[in-house]
Amino acid sequence: MKVMIEVNNITKEFISAKKYPGFFGAIKGLFSNEKVIKKAVDNVSFSILDGEIVGYIGSNGAGKSTTIKMMTGILTPTSGSCMINGVNPSTQRKKNAKNIGVVFGQRTQLWWDLPLSETYSILKEIYQVKDIDYNNRIEFLNEVLNIGEFWDKPVRVLSLGQRMRADLGASLLHNPSTLYLDEPTIGLDVVVKDNIRKAIKEINSEYNTTVILTTHDIKDIEELCNRIIIIDMGKKIFDGSLKELKSKHGFYRRVKFEVKNLDKEYEKKLYKILKIINEEIKIEFDLEKNLFYVFFDKKCIQVTNIIKNVMSLVEVNDIVIQEEELSDIIRQIYKHKI
Amino acid sequence: MREIKQYLHLYKVFTFQFIKGILQSKVDFLIGLFGFFIVQFTNVYFLFLIFNKISTIQGWSFNQVLFIYGFSLIPRGIDHFFTDNIWTLAWQLVLNGDFDRYMLRPLNLLFQVICERIQPDAFGELIVGILLLISSISKDVVQANLLNCVAFVISIIVGTIIYTSIKLIYASLAFWFKISGPFLYTAYQIADFAKYPITIYSRVIRIIISWIVPFAFVAFYPSTFFLHNNTFLQTIGIECIIAVIFSIISYYIFIKGTKNYESVGN
Repeated sequence: MKVMIEVNNITKEFISAKKYPGFFGAIKGLFSNEKVIKKAVDNVSFSILDGEIVGYIGSNGAGKSTTIKMMTGILTPTSGSCMINGVNPSTQRKKNAKNIGVVFGQRTQLWWDLPLSETYSILKEIYQVKDIDYNNRIEFLNEVLNIGEFWDKPVRVLSLGQRMRADLGASLLHNPSTLYLDEPTIGLDVVVKDNIRKAIKEINSEYNTTVILTTHDIKDIEELCNRIIIIDMGKKIFDGSLKELKSKHGFYRRVKFEVKNLDKEYEKKLYKILKIINEEIKIEFDLEKNLFYVFFDKKCIQVTNIIKNVMSLVEVNDIVIQEEELSDIIRQIYKHKI
Repeated sequence: MREIKQYLHLYKVFTFQFIKGILQSKVDFLIGLFGFFIVQFTNVYFLFLIFNKISTIQGWSFNQVLFIYGFSLIPRGIDHFFTDNIWTLAWQLVLNGDFDRYMLRPLNLLFQVICERIQPDAFGELIVGILLLISSISKDVVQANLLNCVAFVISIIVGTIIYTSIKLIYASLAFWFKISGPFLYTAYQIADFAKYPITIYSRVIRIIISWIVPFAFVAFYPSTFFLHNNTFLQTIGIECIIAVIFSIISYYIFIKGTKNYESVGN
């Protein structure tokens, strides 16, 4: 399969003047010449094949958007390079722009005051899309995104969900080979999120569009991405499939106990008895619902051992054993626990 | 060639959309236009008051000053009309990250900045400028022969390029400082000096408006071609050279700036 995106040791530094706290600090800052260098992206490399959907994830400020902005040609890398379909976006910005679609969830690329129909016809002119292609495209977009619903409305009156669909449609008019989605589901309700995900899937299977997507919503990743790249503090810390991530890091297990009566006394006793088994075990109580969760490392401790001990102490109504979810794994990676 | 055609076509599309928007808010349009009229007329009236007391300033008669004044307004007005969005670059586009949008489209960046807006307020400057010009011709301050007309048109076009270039240089500083409105505003204030014969100023000011922010080449130097029979090369010729140099410098700084663009975090 063809390599679509090739990122080689890409680094982006931002230089800013050093700031000092307080009012007098601000005055001091005026006269000082000290600079602070922040590495937003630090020596990151990866390559992505044609037609892949890749989740690019990391906490706030990890460097996701900065990487996307370098790949789309908005930012020039401090060092290293990337090639998108054989084009270097920082030296051949226009050529690259013809071949990519970009959606930033936080800000629209559309003309605020124009009806969507006119925005699309301007984009048609900009990207020089032929009439036949354009009409086919609109038909397809209407099928998957239902943009006909607000076709004649100016962008500023659209709801967030409609606007996101409009933005996604706009980024696809010229049939880009790569689609960058920076938090495409941010702030949307569950139903709209679902629709957007379905649309992305359909676009990918219909046109074999390569998709790179950043998100904080784990469901986006679980449903869309066959591969994830995790970045933290500018550095790549994981690159692989969801399965790999789970087998590598997913050794925590969670058991939910629902009991008849839970009070402070039992709580203490439970603590005592479980801590004897293993110091690493964590317990979370929900006294009002008569619930508690036990977290433990499945490599060291058997579930049966825990259940036996708990049942000897309290009357249990229900037990649920849960595999740790992706969000828990990622949360731990963010906290540098793994 | 095909590319130029596409750009012209796009310019038309953008401008139509913009005009449609303006027509929806007629009041804004009329108030803006009226404001610029008032400003220009009070300025001319002020000149009139001064010249009522003294008949000439350093050898320049009232009518000659008016000609230079009117002459300077026309390139300024044309520039104001077509490239007003450069001000937005200086104040906002870089600061709030809206420049991202331009970077993502397969079009020339400067074209995108400029085509986003036209400024009808500029008619205030243009109309006053043209009126002063007509009155200069009718008072025989300048002759409206063929050579003069051709020279005038060339000077206007080139003068506009100088105006736009200077604006672009100062606005591009936003790529390094985030906001460059204050720099641009200062440069624009200096342009006011160049509406009058620059021989009335001290040496320092003359050097500044001739060589650092060369607004003097927009109207004053070319006007001596019409008023004092200086040669074409000495006046409008130099204006052309200045325009070429400054447009290259300004575009270079602009492109350099876009490479330095840092966008904003989410």
